[in-house]
Amino acid sequence: MDIAIQIALNALIAGAIYSLVVLGFNLLYSTSRFFDLGYGAIAIAGGYAVLYFYKLLGLELWSSIILGIFIAGILGFCIEKIIYRPLRTRKASSAVLLIASLGVLTVIQAVLAILFTSQFQTLGRGAGESRTFEIFGGAITQTQSIILITALVVMTALGLVLKYTLFGKAVKAIADDEEVASIVGINSERMIGIVFFIGSAIGGMAGIATGFDTGLQPTIGLSLLLKGVIAAIVGGIGNVYGGVLGAFLLAIIENLGAWQFSGEWKDAIAFIVLVVFLLFRPQGILPK
Amino acid sequence: MEYLIHIAVLVCLYGILGLSLNLVVGETGLISVAHAGFYGIGAYVTALLLVGLGMNFFLAMALGIIASGLVALLISGVISRLRGVYFLFGTIGLNIIAWSIFLNWQSVTRGPLGIPSIPRPGIWGLDLYQNLQFLFLAAASLAIVYFISVFIKKSSFGRVLNSIREDEEATQIFGYATSYYKLAIFTIGAMLAALAGALFATYITYIDPSSFTINESIFIFSTIVLGGLGSSRGAVLGPLLLVFLFEGFRFAGFPSEIAAQMRMLAYGFALVLLMLYRPKGIWGTFRI
Repeated sequence: MDIAIQIALNALIAGAIYSLVVLGFNLLYSTSRFFDLGYGAIAIAGGYAVLYFYKLLGLELWSSIILGIFIAGILGFCIEKIIYRPLRTRKASSAVLLIASLGVLTVIQAVLAILFTSQFQTLGRGAGESRTFEIFGGAITQTQSIILITALVVMTALGLVLKYTLFGKAVKAIADDEEVASIVGINSERMIGIVFFIGSAIGGMAGIATGFDTGLQPTIGLSLLLKGVIAAIVGGIGNVYGGVLGAFLLAIIENLGAWQFSGEWKDAIAFIVLVVFLLFRPQGILPK
Repeated sequence: MEYLIHIAVLVCLYGILGLSLNLVVGETGLISVAHAGFYGIGAYVTALLLVGLGMNFFLAMALGIIASGLVALLISGVISRLRGVYFLFGTIGLNIIAWSIFLNWQSVTRGPLGIPSIPRPGIWGLDLYQNLQFLFLAAASLAIVYFISVFIKKSSFGRVLNSIREDEEATQIFGYATSYYKLAIFTIGAMLAALAGALFATYITYIDPSSFTINESIFIFSTIVLGGLGSSRGAVLGPLLLVFLFEGFRFAGFPSEIAAQMRMLAYGFALVLLMLYRPKGIWGTFRI
């Protein structure tokens, strides 16, 4: 029984991180209409920024986290402006954008590995600093509960902003049809820039959460991205709540699989989930 | 001199990989980044048969090629039904699963320890211990693969592949069962990649999972994008240029850890810059 509760708690935490990834990813996808592979590396860059400020420069925890989120956002914004926007104005095919973003992913991962080595590093300063709570016989650390709350807050906030503000309506209009949106006076280039900033900042949160929860390595950018993509497809791509549902579902299946077989097969299990969904329900659980 | 021979062998191996991936990506328009997975299957099966059973090199290589082809046939029965970006994610998953099997199926592959002391092949009593003699074998293989790929391109089969690339639905309307064609070319590509894997295993005489990661697939992919998709000449020129570039990095005196990251950095940049300024690559015939 204890094992079942611990698995449920682990799945909850992993699901929270994946939902942060998928929230940012869905936001980017709904406006730019391509699978931005560079997003995973941007998320990890946010985590590494915190590593730099918090552990190497010794800044305060919360100010380093805010700086990290900000840096991830700025990075996403700049990459969109320098690389994706010229491609979009040239009406490049989505394959070209996809390959360019594959290049972005590779470059950022390599830069992070050169700056911070490719060793595994965690963001926590010491092992004993985080308090542990007991819930029904399972253990959850203070950091993990903060991650969980952050994910829920971001999801609710994003849902509300998209539904009720002018900004949210403009984003929806661009998602429906970019040309019509610009005809009715929405500055779609500017909006996409803002969306890339917000989406990448949310991704940065996911990267930072990963750094505190399990640890950072330049190559986990890709695996974080893939989890986000899988969660997005499982939940129904472009749907805010569907993505979160997919994230938790993926986390539950992964953790059950890791308990049944062994932790090394997590990625393989995640991919089997993806392929099953692509074949039998490509529109996801909650299609948009 | 020894060093130049080493580079020439590498160019031959990556040339084979580039040509075989070009059949899938350039001629058929399927964006696949699973090539290192098949390359690895060829290398592992050949190495295990040579070390474990002491089999003849050519027999072991043939079995490695067949094994890789069978895996490709089984998998592409599933993923050749996916389109565009979903196909890409299917292939990423394939490579990650193959890599986790190399790493985690320790009773067979010895996991991260790898397989050491793989014997070099011998033909008619003439052993290929010398790198120069091995170069002849590698160059002959490259020539064979080059002719196979030109032959496929000029055949009616190749023309169907090109028409799938340009418009899959129209090709279906003309009565071609496009998913069989995709399955066939994916399998052929995987078998040729396994040939390169068998040569790699016996040339280096040691293999471990780190040679068959998703980054290696992205590297192979970027060599043919540089050379030009849909061009057999380009699929050899691209690997030639990139292999020389990276050996240059090592020559410039970077430590090997940094040199590996510089290599990633360079091909990531190459992908981004090519997409921005010349998506066709050097000799490309196909505009993605």
